[in-house]
Amino acid sequence: MIIFKEIKKNPFDYVILAIILIIAFILFIFFNQNFDAHNQRRVIYVTAALYLLWSLFHHYRRGDLQASIIIEYLLLAIFAVIIALTTLV
Amino acid sequence: MAKFISLLFIPQEKNNHRALLLQPSFLGIFIALYLLNQSFIRSLTILKPGILGYSSEITVDKVISQTNSERQKLGLAPLKYNATLSQSATAKAQDMFANNYWAHNSPEGKTPWDFFKSVGYQYSVAGENLAKDFYDTDGLIKAWMNSPTHRDNIVNSKYQEIGIGVVNGILNGVKTTLVVQHFALPLNAPVVAKKSNPAPVNQEVVVNPQPELVVSTQSLGDTVVNLAASSKAINPLLISKIIGTIIFSLIVVVLIIDSYVTLKDQTPRFTGSSASHIGFLLIILMLLIFGRQGAIF
Repeated sequence: MIIFKEIKKNPFDYVILAIILIIAFILFIFFNQNFDAHNQRRVIYVTAALYLLWSLFHHYRRGDLQASIIIEYLLLAIFAVIIALTTLV
Repeated sequence: MAKFISLLFIPQEKNNHRALLLQPSFLGIFIALYLLNQSFIRSLTILKPGILGYSSEITVDKVISQTNSERQKLGLAPLKYNATLSQSATAKAQDMFANNYWAHNSPEGKTPWDFFKSVGYQYSVAGENLAKDFYDTDGLIKAWMNSPTHRDNIVNSKYQEIGIGVVNGILNGVKTTLVVQHFALPLNAPVVAKKSNPAPVNQEVVVNPQPELVVSTQSLGDTVVNLAASSKAINPLLISKIIGTIIFSLIVVVLIIDSYVTLKDQTPRFTGSSASHIGFLLIILMLLIFGRQGAIF
């Protein structure tokens, strides 16, 4: 699939991101089984923060670290946190 | 119109090779729309209390049988249903609705033990579990069993009797079902097990119990189950989840289209990584789709 071309350019970066997202997925499912909304929210906050850090790392390595790009990541991370705050009650 | 839609979804020269829906300004609009919806929901709970709410299939019988089932798994004796304890549990739930709070102690300083006393139940050890917004008994018991302090009450070998209050009402403007479990060892009953650990907030041990006077006893019925009251309410959590799922799914679809077009055309540009956005958004979509509702205290 054509979308994987993007991943093939920087496989190391995407392996790190995949590890972050897989751990988030496992923790989310674990806490979901236990009806533990408090820790589920924490998982989303930490994932959003790591996602932002990853974006800095990835775009620095790619040589295109710009404010407009980081704002894009920041907005998605903020949206995720708002979703967690309003739906995990 | 068709041209504008194309600018929204497909990267091209006129939108600087990035679908408009993925540009920061539109992401900001999505966040604003979602927050506007949240404000609307919050306003509804204030202006029209009772329109929004959670429906529930929880019954007193199911709560008791599943509580005893958890005890029996550990070889403990089942708890006996006590109508007076159910009165105190129901009175507690009604007090939370009447005074709009969600806690073991009321804002006026009433403790759970005041409700036991008010119905004339005398105990040497007592405990209370609270829950709200659960759809069914299975989820409710599972949540309690996964919380150490609530589990301690359910599988406490000292308790011999149980009373349940399942009451519908409006809490903070939202229709919901409150479930209150009251556990106790009656005052003159023989103690089966002894434990010297300090009691948590939802348990009380009366060290030297004195005969108590019945302050007031109001006949509330053995159980109060009024599930029809919340059946017509619109679930506010569901509204938020549906709107969030629509927005996030739309962003994921546009990201896939955007990646496909730009990678196919080998368009050089400075934007965030679509593959990482898709991975992150899928995690949030999972939260929206599979996240469960219900709270315990």
